[in-house]
Amino acid sequence: MPGDLERFIAAGPWPQRAGLRLLLALARRPRGARLLSRLPPSDQLAGGLLAMKHFEDPAIARSLGWDADAVAARGRALRREEGRP
Amino acid sequence: MSSLQADVCIVGAGAGGAVAAAELAEGGAKVVVLEQGPRHDADRFSARPVEMMARLYRDGAQVMTLGSPPILLPLGRGIGGTTLVNSGTCFRTPAAVLERWQCEYGLHELTAEALDPCFGRVERALSVAEVTPELAGANAAVARRGAEALGWSHGYLRRNARGCVGSGVCAFGCPTSAKQHTGITYVPRAQAAGAQILTGADVRRVLVGGGRARGVQARLEGKGRVEVRAPEVIVAAGTIHTPLLLQRSGLGSGSGQLGRNLALHPATAAFARMDETVDMARGVPQSFYVDEFAPEGIMFEGVAGPPSYAAMSLPLTGARHAEAMADYRRLAQFGLMVSDSSRGSVRSLGGRPLIRYELLEADVARFRAGLAHMRELFAAAGAREVYLPLPHGVQPERARAKDLKLMAFHPLGTARADARPTHGVVDGRLQLHGVRGVHVADGAVVPSSLGVNPQMTIMALATRLAFGLLGRGVPSEPPLPAEAAARSPV
Repeated sequence: MPGDLERFIAAGPWPQRAGLRLLLALARRPRGARLLSRLPPSDQLAGGLLAMKHFEDPAIARSLGWDADAVAARGRALRREEGRP
Repeated sequence: MSSLQADVCIVGAGAGGAVAAAELAEGGAKVVVLEQGPRHDADRFSARPVEMMARLYRDGAQVMTLGSPPILLPLGRGIGGTTLVNSGTCFRTPAAVLERWQCEYGLHELTAEALDPCFGRVERALSVAEVTPELAGANAAVARRGAEALGWSHGYLRRNARGCVGSGVCAFGCPTSAKQHTGITYVPRAQAAGAQILTGADVRRVLVGGGRARGVQARLEGKGRVEVRAPEVIVAAGTIHTPLLLQRSGLGSGSGQLGRNLALHPATAAFARMDETVDMARGVPQSFYVDEFAPEGIMFEGVAGPPSYAAMSLPLTGARHAEAMADYRRLAQFGLMVSDSSRGSVRSLGGRPLIRYELLEADVARFRAGLAHMRELFAAAGAREVYLPLPHGVQPERARAKDLKLMAFHPLGTARADARPTHGVVDGRLQLHGVRGVHVADGAVVPSSLGVNPQMTIMALATRLAFGLLGRGVPSEPPLPAEAAARSPV
């Protein structure tokens, strides 16, 4: 799971990749987080990325009523049952 | 360098390319399709947004425009193109838009009557049907309650889905293959009719000699260079990449319009905290619309997704974000899309697209009005709190361009159709002005904002182009059966 956010960032074009990695490095350190709090759009982007990673965790998502594995498994079963691609 | 021979070579297997490929191959033409991305396997669709964005989208869904405000522009990549990851909403081109094309761009042949058989054929191929209220889910019910209380015009959307169970992840790979994207509809038809589909094909140039198409040159992933010789070439690489390919090939620049006139339908979304359980990802995310303000260029359409998607788009920070996400099951979300009068451009910078787009004041005003209406809609539906996508303390009426948090899903217009060679890149038959046999069949040819989702427009135009190349009329289709091919939500 920790790899998903890194894979997402790695899939981006290089300027975004570098920018997002810097942003996350700042957000994870107290001094960096204080700096970001003075830049609301950057703060929101960093917070959003970390939150996206947090809520992609299956256990956390399940506690909010979302079970990705069950949705994917049901999809696979229905596709097989109905002979879909 | 290996060499292939075809009657028609098509660049791209998305909304335009796949449709043209199937119709041409079934009509007896020898077709080769070159697709830059991979073929995606539905068995690997995990219903996890972060993982799927990295896999299914171009640049991990992180393509951005430069300008004020910067706009995120997610584009699909691979067999199916953006139809693989769109919401599946199907609108025919509005009659008023077609009339405008006739008056302003001289596209007199693109009438509602002329396009009717094209739309009918696409709708039948994609099993287009209206979403049922049951399948639409509780998120749509919130918007419907608000619209009914306010007396605003609204309805359930028509979608290209068959056997949908409301998995809630249309934008992240449909795990049931219910969404009838072109990768599972038109592409298999094309292959069954003998078309050759090559993935991992980076098309470098369209070849022209003596004023007409000769084929294309491409690099095939792991297989070196390939040249496809063909007297007809259809470029369908998408609104952002088609102009770059034409520029590289030294084509389409006569009017000075190539890469310009980029319209996007910029969009944003608001959240509301309700008293009831919504579970926004249960049901069809984009199933309901409110078109009360469509004449003003403002359209509301449903959006929703799993917790990680909501966490990224929720316009809050810190403790307020955490508190709202803890109540995710009661969150509702709805989107706002603007039929833009702003225009941007795309050009190549080091081989990558550089997309410029500045939001004009007229469109900022549409967002101001739209966000105020969105707040009304949620309030009328009984929301306890509404979270607008604006910085803390900024009211919609005072929002500036830089305050807006925007995405866009419908890039159009960068190789626009216009009957006049001095004003457009292609003519009404989608052929490049001044070059026989080179055609464009994607959103790039759409000369203006549509105000509605564009996939049906692109597919209908591609259908018309294919039958034109076959030298036949588009056959009329019997009307679609009335029933919505859907089950109850799970």
